[in-house]
Amino acid sequence: MLSIENLRVVYHDVISVLNGISLEVKDGEVLIIIGANGAGKTTLLRSVSGMIEFYDGDIIEGDIKMDGTSIKGLDATDIMKRYGVTYVMEDRPVFWYLTIEENLGAASFSRWDKRVKADMEEVFGYFPVLRPMKGKRAGYASGGEQQMLAIGMALMTKPKILLLDEPSLGLAPLITEELFSIISQLNQTDITIVLVEQNAHAALGIGKRGYVVEMGRIVLDGTAQELLENEDVREFYLGSGKKERKSYKDAKRYKRRKRWL
Amino acid sequence: MIDLVQTLGSGILVGLVYALLGLCIVIIFKASEAFNFAIGEFLILGSFLFYVLFFNETLPWHRALPLGALIFLFFSYVLFFDISARFLIALPSGLVTGFLIFCVLFFGLNLPSLVPSPLLRFIIAFPLGLLAAGIVGSMVERITIKPLLGRSPISMTIVTLGLGFFLRGCIQLIWGSHAYPFFLDLPDITIEMGDFLFLSDPIWAGILSLLTFGLVIVFLFRTRWGLAIRATSEDQAKAMAFGINARFILLIVWAISALCIAVAGIMISNFGALQVGMGFVGLRAIPVVLIGGMDSIGGALVGGVIVGMCEALAGAYLEPMGLIGFKDVAPYILLLIVLFIRPYGLFGTVRIERV
Repeated sequence: MLSIENLRVVYHDVISVLNGISLEVKDGEVLIIIGANGAGKTTLLRSVSGMIEFYDGDIIEGDIKMDGTSIKGLDATDIMKRYGVTYVMEDRPVFWYLTIEENLGAASFSRWDKRVKADMEEVFGYFPVLRPMKGKRAGYASGGEQQMLAIGMALMTKPKILLLDEPSLGLAPLITEELFSIISQLNQTDITIVLVEQNAHAALGIGKRGYVVEMGRIVLDGTAQELLENEDVREFYLGSGKKERKSYKDAKRYKRRKRWL
Repeated sequence: MIDLVQTLGSGILVGLVYALLGLCIVIIFKASEAFNFAIGEFLILGSFLFYVLFFNETLPWHRALPLGALIFLFFSYVLFFDISARFLIALPSGLVTGFLIFCVLFFGLNLPSLVPSPLLRFIIAFPLGLLAAGIVGSMVERITIKPLLGRSPISMTIVTLGLGFFLRGCIQLIWGSHAYPFFLDLPDITIEMGDFLFLSDPIWAGILSLLTFGLVIVFLFRTRWGLAIRATSEDQAKAMAFGINARFILLIVWAISALCIAVAGIMISNFGALQVGMGFVGLRAIPVVLIGGMDSIGGALVGGVIVGMCEALAGAYLEPMGLIGFKDVAPYILLLIVLFIRPYGLFGTVRIERV
């Protein structure tokens, strides 16, 4: 179980992004995190995966615990090897100038065992589109194929917890649907999934539980069903809600609820 | 006609050494997008390390002891923090290594008396010298480059500029600035066919440079470490996210680069004598990589050969016309022409455009 306790993160010593966020990821679940741009979703994943230091951010308060032991401040490689937390960055983090097979090989670098070939076959099993083009450079693959490859690469690291940062970014709705069905398939094989999404409707469709993040804080949590039915979530993230049409002028943030609870 | 072939042939042999210099710049540029301006200093340093092993040069204790201590600190540091060995293993192994280095520097390896055959002596001293150069390269990287990971590549480039001056000062302090006679005494393989004459030293230089070049390419494209290096050179953040330790990869890249520069340095010293002022030869790598393309490994080879031939041609045909010293300028004029036509160099990255 991954638990984040009162986390505060500051970039370049001045830009405060996470202002005391706390959440819990239970083993084997699909957790959805939704929020507007700049809410701190990506920063949250970077902090958990240990990448925050690379982006010149600092965890100034709070703790990240994996089954009770703190993983705060560990190196990204250590967190991956010891605790099996793999972070799939946003915008299709594949190596453009390597072939698809090499991409999968590079992702298995942190392991030393001989089962890499078999795991590669497993990934091709999940994503059959990738098999015929495995000798092709990843940069020439389409957006959907690249995102599938990115998730395949994450699988090569044998994750226990998979942190997915907006996998549906820039993908057609049909591809998104396919991707999400594969993600819920992965969840069946005992991989815990944390899914950060803008596409709230699709994401809440496969998740059991969700959090809403705003201004670096959790403002709402509940089961997926509760969130889908929540008036504010419907208005801000699903684009429905109140019946009458609203002008964009009124959708400004300061017009929103000041207090959520 | 015979003259031309002779000139081109010699040019190609020297060009292969330049290609190796270019390769060193290219792999560092690919891995961290920084240009290593300290290449000339690494070149002299590598040659001096080899010199110490091969010619039984000893240092007085007040120079050898600080170097030994430095090696000890560095070794313990890397073992403890980067390979996360236990303190009880890291400290003694660092101590042993530092002491060994001190002994080699102070008492000398005395290879000439142990191994009389110069070829065998070369075969022993060459890998040792390269290893030493690689270690020094990684040491320098740990101290100066590692803290800058994730920052702008420009700051790394500026650091290498300062590093160059610092290393040059260190080398002058340790070994002085006079010339050391440098004669490898490798087997004579001079080729003399009809009117052609290729001297033994340039041929050896060409062969060894090409061999090193090939080994580096095999390492980069056939091993898992090479794959990790290529992945990191594309994007450090992505590589870290997929469990590749970008810091350690950077260390390896600098070690390989320093090692290759040492090969080139030894070969260039073998043409004449070894002295601190020789470092400017390292800057010949600038036209090489700019002509070939900053991020192309094959481009470094082609660029090196082109620069070598250009230099030889200018030396043979233009200098007798009264243009003394034109040999050193010719590659830069060629570089200007290439940059006018192809700003990315001949083999610069073909950027992937998805359709």
